[in-house]
This record gives sequence, structure tokens and C-alpha cells, in this order.
Amino acid sequence: MSIMRIKGIDRGEPITIQVDGKEITAFAGESIAAAMMASGLRTTQMTKQGGSPRGYFCGMGACFDCIATVDGVDNVRTCNTPVHPGCEVETG
Amino acid sequence: MNAKTTLKQTEIAIVGAGPAGVSAAITAAQAGAKVTLIDENANPGGQYFKQPTLDQPTQLPGNLGTNADKGAELISGLEHPGIELLTNTMVWGISEEDHHLKLYGRGESESLKADRIIFASGAYERLMPFQGWTLPGVMTAGGAQLMMKSQGILPGQKFLVAGTGPLLQLAAVQLLEAGGEVEAILELQSKKEFLLNATKLWGQWDKLGQGLANQKKLKASGVPIKYRHVITRALGDREVEGAVSSKIDSRGRICPRSEDVYELDTICISYGFLPATELPTIAGCEQFYDPAFGTYATKTNSDLETTVEGLFAIGECRGIGGVSVALIEGQLAGLIAAQQLGYDADQDETALRKQHSKARKSIENLGRLFSFDPGICDLVPDDVPICRCEGVTAGEVRESIRRGASQLNHLKPWHRTGMGRCQGRMCGPILQKFIIHEAGLEPSTVEPFTARMPIKPLPMKAVADYTTEGGETTWEDHVGGYGVARTEL
Repeated sequence: MSIMRIKGIDRGEPITIQVDGKEITAFAGESIAAAMMASGLRTTQMTKQGGSPRGYFCGMGACFDCIATVDGVDNVRTCNTPVHPGCEVETG
Repeated sequence: MNAKTTLKQTEIAIVGAGPAGVSAAITAAQAGAKVTLIDENANPGGQYFKQPTLDQPTQLPGNLGTNADKGAELISGLEHPGIELLTNTMVWGISEEDHHLKLYGRGESESLKADRIIFASGAYERLMPFQGWTLPGVMTAGGAQLMMKSQGILPGQKFLVAGTGPLLQLAAVQLLEAGGEVEAILELQSKKEFLLNATKLWGQWDKLGQGLANQKKLKASGVPIKYRHVITRALGDREVEGAVSSKIDSRGRICPRSEDVYELDTICISYGFLPATELPTIAGCEQFYDPAFGTYATKTNSDLETTVEGLFAIGECRGIGGVSVALIEGQLAGLIAAQQLGYDADQDETALRKQHSKARKSIENLGRLFSFDPGICDLVPDDVPICRCEGVTAGEVRESIRRGASQLNHLKPWHRTGMGRCQGRMCGPILQKFIIHEAGLEPSTVEPFTARMPIKPLPMKAVADYTTEGGETTWEDHVGGYGVARTEL
């Protein structure tokens, strides 16, 4: 499945972030969830109880389903956390 | 006050920079008041007028673009010397004694004391669970809209949009305009109910016009609107690969042999909205049951002041009303709060009050477009988790209701529902429907979960910074179950 950045939008120069050790392309101002999605990565965490895969859900910071470990900090909401060059995301 | 916490002072603090909060801030500042407007997001605009977060100027296609432009125009009014805008800042609590707001943002804890506080905290989406609804690729319709509005990203390729209410059709049109394929819209109501309810909007030509334009676009794109259909299952092991829908009869039961199977990657769901009332509730503001939308909301008088002096509630948190109500209530509350502080505004208060009562009255009918019978809880199989955070299933909840649970708070100690990371924002309204239906109770008698601080999970540091003199910080495995602190003040 290829999720796409909507056509015709100028996004500036690409930057690189790492998700589980793999490099993906992102653009300044994008949220981590958005950049991941645009690279086809929709799972942001495996739940601690039951190991069920979760991803972007409410999009407004209310559900806490899209959390991941970002730059070593646990439980960061990827829907409202912007990317920065060299940002490291672990989906656990 | 702990040394690590900065104490700030303002005249009017406004919580939430959506349409209501922004319009309140502008009106109050123009009257001469010193205003602090706080929002958890990177930009003002709220969910409705969500602005693109990209570094480059962003022109979105179709309806998304028009809406963003309207929002940008409103937001430009915030460029006023009397307004301090704090973005990326969460108001996670309010002191019950002197009503200072507890803020956390950009790694800093602050407390804000204001002469007047206006709650404009908006709404959450109401949902109903189904098999597979926790899979990545299932998202709220609002979440899909936000991915497009703020990020310029289409959150999938082939979509199914399911639930109830006019938002489904709008979301589907926006997905199409952004380049997506929409396989179908599954609308819980019958076509007759939906159209009958829509005629109640007679006179609100903008809303009716928008609705008709959406239907026309969907028809032209060959997107079927399947009335009296529900989603019963998301297919896929690790993420969404398909969906199953069924037709339901007039009593809300699945019609045998009516299954449709879809191959698709993304499912968007929405069953209406719920007021975000955590902060006014903690501050002791009386809540009331709003039968039009089937939700609890914050009670106010005609000045939009809550039952606690000096605290106001506007927009969705005093009852779902949509953007037009939010904008007028913002102006009215901004004006009255400023007047109470001795400022004189160049605003026609009488006209504003008239506009306001008209807007609120017409919205009562809008509620019908989102209302649904709690009987559809029967469609949720026992093994489906209702509480996404703690994995509590429909079967466990039903068992507890049979054993006598008649309030949401009764379910907490038994199952930890409402005690996970979302603190009941997702499961609360679903559990409310379950209790009403299974126990046969009057909807107004089933109250929401008790709101507690911090209203959203925070880093421990934030709360530790925030210990008032003589207060004790207790480390509780309470919010989120992963060690978030709660301060006993």
C-alpha cells in the first residue's frame, strides 16, 4: 500500500529520520506519524499488554494510541510531535 | 509554589485556540483586556480550522483549501498586542481553590493566574467498536481529515467511511479531492431518517447547501452511500487489508446474508462528537445532560458564565454546536468577560445575543443527524475490546453490568476502563451507551467518568515541578499504567 503526500504541495528540502534503525524521508513541519505513514509505516507501537499493533487513530492527541519511543523518550505522541533531522523513532 | 514553576498573571485566560477560543481572544483584546490564549497544538485554529504545519506555504486541494483559508483569515486577528498566544502548551489541570491553571509546554511547567477563564476546549469524536478496530489503518474520520489538513498527507489509498452523521460525507469528499478512492460510505441511519433530519435544517442554507454539494460530488464520483449499513469487521493481521459490512434492519439487527466484503487499506469512523469537559468539571462547574446530542456538557447562563463565578464555557464544551455557534459564543464571552473587568467594547451586544440564541436553537436539530439508538451495542461481539488502552472487552463490560454496574465509575475498579492512557476519552462514551442499553437506564442518569488531573498523561517531571507548598506528590501507577504522577494538592 502506498500512502501519498498530496500532490502539488511544495515541501522544501527532504530530511532524514530513523524508524527502528531504518532511514526514511521526511519534510520539515511534518509530524512523525505523517512521515512514517508517507513511507508506508503505519504501526507506531506494539501494546505492552497483548502486543497488539497500533497506529495513528484520533489524530488530535486524545487517544495516545500512536505513541512511540522518540530520541529515547517513551510514550511520545507521534501525531503531534514534529520531525527533526536525525530524529530516532522506535516502535518497540 | 515550587521554584521550578513560573507563576504568570493575565486578565483573561482562554483554554483552546479553536474557532471559539480565537474569536473570544480577539473580541476581548479589542475591548482592551490582556488575554492569554493557550493551545496544545503547534498552531491556533483547532481541529476545524486546522492549519498546515509544514514549513512551506501550503495550498490544499478543494474544500480542504477553502477551509484552511477561512481559518487563516480568522487567526490573523490574533496579531494584536493584547494577546499572548501559547502554543504547544497543555493545560493539564486547574486548582480547585483559586483556579490557577497548570500548564506544561516545551519542557517547562508554569502556572497561570487569571481574573477570568474561558474554557473553549472543543470536542472529541464519538466512536463505536467493531472487530479489528484497533488495527493500524483504522482511524477516526476527524483524524483522517487532520492528516490531510495539517500534513498534506492522504492517510491511505482505498477508504471505507463508516458511522453516522453528515461528517462522513464531508470527509469522503475531502478524501476524494486529495486523490483517494472511497469504496463506500456506511451510514447507520436509514435514508428516510437521514433526509428527514436534514430537512430540520431548513433555513440554514449554508449547511444544507454544503450537504447537497457533498452528495452531488459523491454521486459524480460513483461513491455509494449505503444507508442502514454498519461496519462489522476490519480484516488483516498487522494492519487493515479489508473490511466487512452488513445491512441492519429497522430494529438494528444484522440482516442475514447481507455481508459485503471490501478490499481496502483504510477505515475512517465517526459517530458524532462529545464535549471535552475535563477542566470545567475539575473546577467544579456544574454539568448538564444535553438530550439533543446525548452528551454531558458544561452548564452556563446566558452570559456563558458557568456555575462557578469568573469561569466561562463556550463552543463545543458547553454542548455540541458546530463552528457557527463557536464563533458567536467566542465573541459574546470575550465581550462579557472584558466588560466584567471594566473594559468597554465597540460591539452591539444585543445583536450578538440575538444571533447567539438563534444559532443555538437551530443546532438542536443538528443533534438528530448524529443521534443513534444504543441498541447498536448489540452488534459488538463479546471478544471485541471496548477499552483500547487496557484491552477490556465488550463481554467483560456486559458481565459487570449484569452484576450491577450502573455508572462508568463502577467499571473502573473492576476493569481499569478509563484508567489507561486515553483516560476514558475513547471508551467512556461507548461504555455510556452500553450501560444505558444493557441496564435499561435513562440516558441522563449515566454520568461520564470523573475527570482527574493531569487530564492527559504527562512526563513525571512536569508534575514533580509542580508541587505547591505543603502539597505532596504521589507517584501513582494510575494514569496510563506506566508511571505518570498525580499531584495531591
